[in-house]
Amino acid sequence: MRVAATRTSPAVIPTASMADIAFLLIIFFMVTFTIEVDKTQVTLPRTVLRDEIPKKAAYVSITNSGLIKVSDGEQMSAPVPNTDDVLSFAAEVIGRDPTKEFVLKADENVRYEHVDAVIDALKQARVKVIYLLSAQATE
Amino acid sequence: MKFVKKSVSDEIPTSSMADIAFLLIIYFMVTTTFAATRGLDFALPEEDDQPPVVEKEEAVLIQIQPGGDLLVDNKPMLITDVLDYLKPKLERNPKKPVIIRPDQAAPYGAMVRVYDELRRGAKRGVEVKNISIPTQREIDRFWY
Repeated sequence: MRVAATRTSPAVIPTASMADIAFLLIIFFMVTFTIEVDKTQVTLPRTVLRDEIPKKAAYVSITNSGLIKVSDGEQMSAPVPNTDDVLSFAAEVIGRDPTKEFVLKADENVRYEHVDAVIDALKQARVKVIYLLSAQATE
Repeated sequence: MKFVKKSVSDEIPTSSMADIAFLLIIYFMVTTTFAATRGLDFALPEEDDQPPVVEKEEAVLIQIQPGGDLLVDNKPMLITDVLDYLKPKLERNPKKPVIIRPDQAAPYGAMVRVYDELRRGAKRGVEVKNISIPTQREIDRFWY
């Protein structure tokens, strides 16, 4: 019986579609790329209702230990010593844009007194809407 | 003198394209952060030296204890029971104010959970239109 000679196929990985895949990935990352103005690490409270936060909103973040950072939505967040500085910061931002939205990014375990002082400062600065940043909770 | 004409290739060199593409991918992968960009909106009332007078007994008061437990109209209550408690009151008066008053030592997350629960009431037929979270300064000035 004659056995057919085995054909040796070349060991080549097809790379013709690699460029397409690579550019698709680039486009995906370019579209989803956003510069995060506040990188404070906090454990966000979880809520079922979550509204989209407007881009370029100003940020006030409060860590578990009560450290407060502020950002006008354009520049990276910077720590402030106390809530009086939050008031002057918010008043300055509202002076430039009276309709500016603020985002409160606070740790879920922070004592409410820190949050209360910040909300009070924002109220005094005549901020109209604040967003309580949250993570998704299941019903 | 003999001129040698070099033939120039009319192809765009693409051998380094894959390197550039993957460098871009790695850059975007490293710098991309999937930030949380959602939250609960909370409209703040206009700062007013003469706030409208609301009769204290008209409002439902939800107090948040330092441990996160709730007292609704001075009665201990689970968060899941709050909407059932509010339902008959809001049927009588749809504009009935509900005041959330967290203790200064309470965790912020407890306040957000209560606010979320009240906001979600609309889907269950218990729409709370008038939610107020006074600050300590407002309580000191206007509470009676």
